Amino acid sequence: MRRLSTIGLAAGMSVALLLSACGGGGESASSDASQAWTVPTSDPTASINVVGILDPKTDGMDNVVAAFEKEHPTIKVNYQHVPFDNLNSVLDSRITAKTGDPDVFWVDQPRVPALATRGYLEDLTSQLSDKTSGLQEATVTSSSFDKKLYSLPISNSTQILFYNKDLLDKAGVAAPSVDDASRITWQQLKSDAKSVQDKGGAQHGLLFGQPNRYYQLEPLPVSAGGGIGASGEGNLTPEINNEGWVKAMTYYGSLFSDKVTPRGIPAEQSDATFLAGKTAYMVEGNWMVGKLADSKLNWGAALNPVWEGGEPASPNGSWSVGMNPFSKNKEAAAIFMKWLAIDGESGYAKYRSYAELPANIEGLKSYLASSAFTGSEGGKQAAQVVKHETENTSVGRVSTVGYIEFEDIVGRAFSDIANGTDPKKALDSAQSQLVTAWKQYE
Amino acid sequence: MHPTVPVRHSLTRRQLRTAVLFLAPAVAAIVLLRLVPFLGAAWSTLFERAGVGLLAEERFAGFDNYVTLFGDPLFLNTLVRTIVFNLVINPVQIALAMAIAVLMTRRIPGRGIWRTAVFIPCTIPLVGSSIAWGVALRGDGPVNGILSALGIGPQPFLTSPTQALPSIILVASWVGIGYWMLFLIGGLNDINNEVYEAASIDGASGWRTFWSITLPLMKRPLLFVLVADTVANFVLFVPPQLLTNGGPEESTTLLMFDAYRRTYTYSQPNLGATSTLVLTLIMLLIVAIQFRLLRERD
Repeated sequence: MRRLSTIGLAAGMSVALLLSACGGGGESASSDASQAWTVPTSDPTASINVVGILDPKTDGMDNVVAAFEKEHPTIKVNYQHVPFDNLNSVLDSRITAKTGDPDVFWVDQPRVPALATRGYLEDLTSQLSDKTSGLQEATVTSSSFDKKLYSLPISNSTQILFYNKDLLDKAGVAAPSVDDASRITWQQLKSDAKSVQDKGGAQHGLLFGQPNRYYQLEPLPVSAGGGIGASGEGNLTPEINNEGWVKAMTYYGSLFSDKVTPRGIPAEQSDATFLAGKTAYMVEGNWMVGKLADSKLNWGAALNPVWEGGEPASPNGSWSVGMNPFSKNKEAAAIFMKWLAIDGESGYAKYRSYAELPANIEGLKSYLASSAFTGSEGGKQAAQVVKHETENTSVGRVSTVGYIEFEDIVGRAFSDIANGTDPKKALDSAQSQLVTAWKQYE
Repeated sequence: MHPTVPVRHSLTRRQLRTAVLFLAPAVAAIVLLRLVPFLGAAWSTLFERAGVGLLAEERFAGFDNYVTLFGDPLFLNTLVRTIVFNLVINPVQIALAMAIAVLMTRRIPGRGIWRTAVFIPCTIPLVGSSIAWGVALRGDGPVNGILSALGIGPQPFLTSPTQALPSIILVASWVGIGYWMLFLIGGLNDINNEVYEAASIDGASGWRTFWSITLPLMKRPLLFVLVADTVANFVLFVPPQLLTNGGPEESTTLLMFDAYRRTYTYSQPNLGATSTLVLTLIMLLIVAIQFRLLRERD
């Protein structure tokens, strides 16, 4: 009996292991983090740890690392793949351990203010801010916070409305346009999608590449006049239950309740679902172009939909690379980051097949000249869309230190709305949760 | 207890040294890996951060974190939900594991194959089986295909506030039942066959034998399974995190997930630790009650 109670107690105490993760890292941030360093002209001999969200094989990061090591033979890059959903918790535990590992890591651009405030990002202003003229300005802005450069942008993004030509033809529905003057509205898109389901035999009318994520859905409330989601000093006053947001999200919920958009297909499965050929339309990022070019689908591309009577809006932003303030190899890390983002067309854009839109201007030119964007009618349309949207309609995600909470809470509200919760109720609840979560920044 | 007392008195120095030597690694591991972090975390619930995140300086806050948590309706709902979830899932899992264990110790054809089939889910990492169940329970997934073929019609499962938690129970039990069954089979095989023979000579029915012989003699393995299963389900994390992210409408937010979200998403590690401490205390309380209820009379 006594032995059993010990076992029970020990098993109960296993929770303590998790507790230790929650309670760790209590010391101050003001250690020797801010040692002076420069970007040297000759390479040091070093080995750096890099954490990124790309798979070494299927996403081609092995090629990027090999190309860098060939050009900089004294610097060894140890690349570690961490899936997107785990990136934040991995960074939280590893950076706060203050061992300097990883030296370099992938940074989601809208999280720059949050990560910089938490002391996870080295200030790169004095070493690298004079070298960013070859990068698209919007991407440099979203890699900075409080007028300081905290990371180097490697990519940018936009969204495209893709469609299945065969299904649209079968239903006799006109294809959406690449011309800004006749840009399709969200309202028209819903009724067209329904027609393709009814007359063209499409299983799904409209898919979102990233369902329930703020990144892809932000243009809906923005275009409907509801704004980006927060206002005030430091964007710390949530604004997600105003009329524009409720209107936009009522529309979003109706897509699911009217069975135009299927419930329960996560982002990881949406591309494959569209490629299977039974879906009429899909709003997805530019990275879909390469996959479509390799497929047998008869596809086309059009501008992002606009809210009826509203202004067009499209998402932007993507990934940057940042430096761990506790890194013991800052100079080697800086050389790698500069090579990845700035040098020439940027190593990231040059050596990664299927890369996102490069943040590097020269890299972007070569990217849009590649066969995926020139080899087919759909590819050419996509190139036109990318150019038009990034230059004219792109709206950044809300820049706030509270972005991590914002994204999580808003994402859950979107998910509830898609699953049938009353939009006003879901947004009111999210608004009040956000007010509570943001109290710590007051 | 009596016979052990003189033995303990006669322990020689040598025996004592051997005992200490053998126990030391386990005790050291429990102290270093369990007690020290646990006490550290319990201590950290009395502090708050002067800034944001894990690198910010800490300052003493008394019981502020507890006041904050117990004043938060979301936390209170999560607390009640976690307790109700455990009051349902543990008896269900153990009853089914027991039923299957009894079945598997009978002389049924292909017993080895059945046992393996029930046990196989435990060998698959929970992450993998959660993803597979996520696909299976999709609106256009295979489970709904079968339900439609049977004329029941498709169900929303993980996307419905009323069905999501039962779906999580299904995923967790698919793994859990086979695992706990193994311990119970071990216990059943330990029961002396003569007791059953005596019962059958007395003309006891199958039910009567089960209630009066099998269950009382299974008290020890059942207690272990009950306690270990309760602990496992109180800290259940992977299925809600992967399949529902705590939704829809918070319906699958359990305490462990709440602690994770407070710590990592909301950057409030001290509140996260407080949430986990509350979880641990409730769990220990329930485990203590279980011990009391199943205590063997000397």
